[in-house]
Amino acid sequence: MATARKDMAETAASRSNVYGLLAAVFRAEPSAAFLAQVKSSEFANVLESLDLSLGDDFQDTPCDQLVEGLAVEYTRLFIGPGPRISPHESTNIEFENPMEGTLWGPQTVKVKKFIEAAGLAYDELFDGMPDHVSAELEFMQRLATKEAEAWEERNEEFATNILKIEERFLDEHLSLWISRFCDKVIEHSEHPFYQGFAEVTKGFLEYEGKSLQAFNSGTGNGRGFPD
Amino acid sequence: MKSLNRRNFMSLSAASGAVLAAGAVDSRPALAGSVTFAKGGRDFSPVTGRERKAIPTACWQCVTRDSLIGFVEDGRLVKLEGHPESIRTNGVICAKGQAGVNQVYFPDRILHPLRRVGKRGEHKWKRISWDEALDEIAARLKPLRDAGTPEKFMFQYGRMKASQSKVMSDFMAAYGTKTIGNHTSICEGGKWTSQELMWGGHYDNWDFDKTDFVLIFGSNMLNTHTNHIPVAQKLIEAHVGRKVPVYVFDVRLTNTAAHADEWIPINVGKDGLVALSMVNVIMNEGLYKKDLFKFMKVSADRKASMDEKIAAVKEQVAKFTPEFAEKESMVPAGKIRDLARRFAKSKSGVVVSYRGTIAHQHGADQERAMMLLAAVTGNVNSPGGRCQGVGAGWKSPKSKHPKARALDINHGFPGQVAYPTHKVSNQVLKMIKDGRNGRPEVYMWACYNPVYVNGEVNENREIMMDESIMPFLVCSTIVYDESSSLADIIVPDVTYLERWDWEDMVSPTQVAEYYFRQPLIKPLGESRDFGDMCVGLAKRLGIELAWKDKEDFVRQSCEMTPGVKEAGGFEYMKKHGVWHDKNANPDYLAFETRIPASALEADGVIFDEASGVYWNWHESKAKTEAEAKTVGYQNTPKSYKGFVGQEVDGEVYRGFKPDAVNKSGFLEFYSELMKAKGMPVFPTYTPIPEHVEMAPDELHLTTYKVAVHTHSRTSHCKWLSEIYHDNPGWMNPKTAAERGLKDGDVIRVHNKLGGITTNVHVTEGIIPGVIAISYHVGREHSGRYGSGSPSPIPGVADDPDFNNKWWDKHGVHPNAIIASSPDEISGQQRWMDTVVRVEKA
Repeated sequence: MATARKDMAETAASRSNVYGLLAAVFRAEPSAAFLAQVKSSEFANVLESLDLSLGDDFQDTPCDQLVEGLAVEYTRLFIGPGPRISPHESTNIEFENPMEGTLWGPQTVKVKKFIEAAGLAYDELFDGMPDHVSAELEFMQRLATKEAEAWEERNEEFATNILKIEERFLDEHLSLWISRFCDKVIEHSEHPFYQGFAEVTKGFLEYEGKSLQAFNSGTGNGRGFPD
Repeated sequence: MKSLNRRNFMSLSAASGAVLAAGAVDSRPALAGSVTFAKGGRDFSPVTGRERKAIPTACWQCVTRDSLIGFVEDGRLVKLEGHPESIRTNGVICAKGQAGVNQVYFPDRILHPLRRVGKRGEHKWKRISWDEALDEIAARLKPLRDAGTPEKFMFQYGRMKASQSKVMSDFMAAYGTKTIGNHTSICEGGKWTSQELMWGGHYDNWDFDKTDFVLIFGSNMLNTHTNHIPVAQKLIEAHVGRKVPVYVFDVRLTNTAAHADEWIPINVGKDGLVALSMVNVIMNEGLYKKDLFKFMKVSADRKASMDEKIAAVKEQVAKFTPEFAEKESMVPAGKIRDLARRFAKSKSGVVVSYRGTIAHQHGADQERAMMLLAAVTGNVNSPGGRCQGVGAGWKSPKSKHPKARALDINHGFPGQVAYPTHKVSNQVLKMIKDGRNGRPEVYMWACYNPVYVNGEVNENREIMMDESIMPFLVCSTIVYDESSSLADIIVPDVTYLERWDWEDMVSPTQVAEYYFRQPLIKPLGESRDFGDMCVGLAKRLGIELAWKDKEDFVRQSCEMTPGVKEAGGFEYMKKHGVWHDKNANPDYLAFETRIPASALEADGVIFDEASGVYWNWHESKAKTEAEAKTVGYQNTPKSYKGFVGQEVDGEVYRGFKPDAVNKSGFLEFYSELMKAKGMPVFPTYTPIPEHVEMAPDELHLTTYKVAVHTHSRTSHCKWLSEIYHDNPGWMNPKTAAERGLKDGDVIRVHNKLGGITTNVHVTEGIIPGVIAISYHVGREHSGRYGSGSPSPIPGVADDPDFNNKWWDKHGVHPNAIIASSPDEISGQQRWMDTVVRVEKA
């Protein structure tokens, strides 16, 4: 039991890491320090194992140059001006009632309330909408971190409850739109960096969906996660 | 990409953890606090019920600026309604006001500062921080000021009023530039100049609550007036409630004309002539009212007797017989006589005029004819008459400033315009291109779209594209449009529903209303009020402002404005949104007020025999009393600022106080100022040159507004563009038949400036010989709902809601074939003088 708990804690912390990274990718333009880490051999190996490339010249291009190019690309894709890929849940879901699917619309309120009900608030300096992709990913990061702590503290009931909440947020929110959003990024981005991370995001969230469902329904392996 | 499994997931996690652990993620988190679910398996509900707040604020969709109540739910603006306690609007707002919600949440809104990284107009941008944006702008401004050339920083605005305007001008003055452009000449500047030459101030209101007769020329006031809801509802109350007769002269069957007793079709540019012919009838038949003649100047002799004045007016209008007017205007002479008689015999009456009357060569003179008609019937500043507008008189903090300098590029070319009292915005880009009076090195604009809203849009674009003549362009905006797309730096403005202001628009009741705007929600993204941007620039430029931020400016104003202060100041306005003095009454016939002798004996007050004006020369540019006396009132620069009173028949009266030019205190129809500039000394009829020279197959092109759009500021509002997004050219069946056109045909409308293609709407609702095309649509950029084109990234605007956009027509922009051409009296853009040919495309 202790081993299983340890595994669960480790898994939750691991999931938190991935959510944290993806939240950072979509929050803002990457910094040189961030890109230097992404260029590390450890990260490169992971990408290779996933059969993903961030561009033929990614490793050879100086970080400063990458920073400039990716800032322009980030702006074009997610900031505008003009129509862009809206990185928000509310604008990426097909609703029967069109009024539901508007920027900062009723769906945004649902996300905001969900997050606030977990005891979190939006940072005063956060200038995105409450249902921005990075906020939702960060929320999952926070939940997974809390879950890991609960396992560490041997509070299985709490940890299990958080797992259910994670699945619920995934089902009610992230999974409804993340795939559509990532597909748009893959289609419209002119830089393999964003195409690559969109692939990772899409793949990871699909994996997460299966994992959480398996754990919460008790159909996975001993650790609650599919191999 | 390969599918994730536990192994590569763990590798990904480890690598992700390494990135995070290295501190390489330097963006701030979105969330604060920590997850705090109750421990122990208890489920939670994210649905905690709704909290709805009702917050008073004010509209800004058009210059009417109605008071509002905004309903906010869960931090989201969900609804706008009229403010029921507003004496201006009685709780009513229009469709544009309702759609203010769209301004906040339209999906293409600009929410972050941007720097151009491609060629100008290439649509290549990089998000930058506010600090970077302000540093960059300040780095351009500081050298200009240090070199003693602050005037090379030009600011131009489309809509800035009340505190928004005061904050801007205070900052610009503190910086040292007076090179400040506006947009008034493309709106109504000619009307104001004309009024300033006659009754001193500008902006007229009509006392519909008391009036007995309404004549409307060239104004669709039920749909599109600059004081729309207040005057439209008063007009409706008079017409429907009290059966007051309403007659509308217009080229088109407007909504106002359709609801009048009668639509009187009139040829383009003949409104003033018809008004003069009505004066002709009234004078010849002795139907005039003598009261006001005492205060009117109608001949060179300011001491003329009543009989001499009446004779002078008769003589001036003698040639404008109803028969002559019918020949030119197509308004039947019998109709002119009938309406003239009924209007003059009414106890009171109003003469309304607007852009249809004044957006012409000598449109300002047509406005003088309108005022003459009101004056000879005693309907000026009187119960039930045409009255000077009354708005709130706010006080506001002022910063210390140096003597500001200006490039002389806001008043048209030398000799082009006689009295550009509201500037000549339509010539600004041409002046910059010409360069003779200098060029701004930094050109900044806000709430304005110079490429789109002026005539000759193609030339405007070329000028703004040219970095050799406009080296640095900065735009504060919420929308990517035809002009902001050419900027070097774009900074995200807040919408009016996210900012602080005090407001002052004219009241229809002649009692001032003080009202207020406050943020309904936290500004989206990084959007920032223009005033707060000024604070950021001031800090970088070492300028000390008398206010900390925009909220502080508004707070201080509330605490220093008499009436508002005593009511409770800023906190009262936050809670109530509106205030007026319940003991105040309309100040009718104020011109008859006598000036006390003590005021005439004050230091600096002298008498000008030529004009009969008592004035304080200290307030003028005169250096000595001797100089003031020698040069005289009319010719001393800024003498009007010292106006004290007008001598009339041996007594001194308040009269019609000047506000912009050195006119006397008479209601001036015989104008020495007009004479001095070679313009008609008395209101007259001057045929429009382009119309006189028209070939038989040519047509007038007129433009018009619609009820659901503001000129260029609403096409991105989904609800409004759903209602109105296409603008076929209106054409009379006779005119269409002459060209072999039937309703819906595709037509080409063209002249020497170029051509546009649209459909024809064949209707009896317009006179023959004219094509009328509204000017709100035909957008190159304005978000997906405005332009229909998801530029600048084709194919990306595929949010589900975009699929609900069912319309695929987005109209044409007539300004491409309209010359940027000012009235030589006022500088008013001559929207209605364009001549075109129309053929089947």
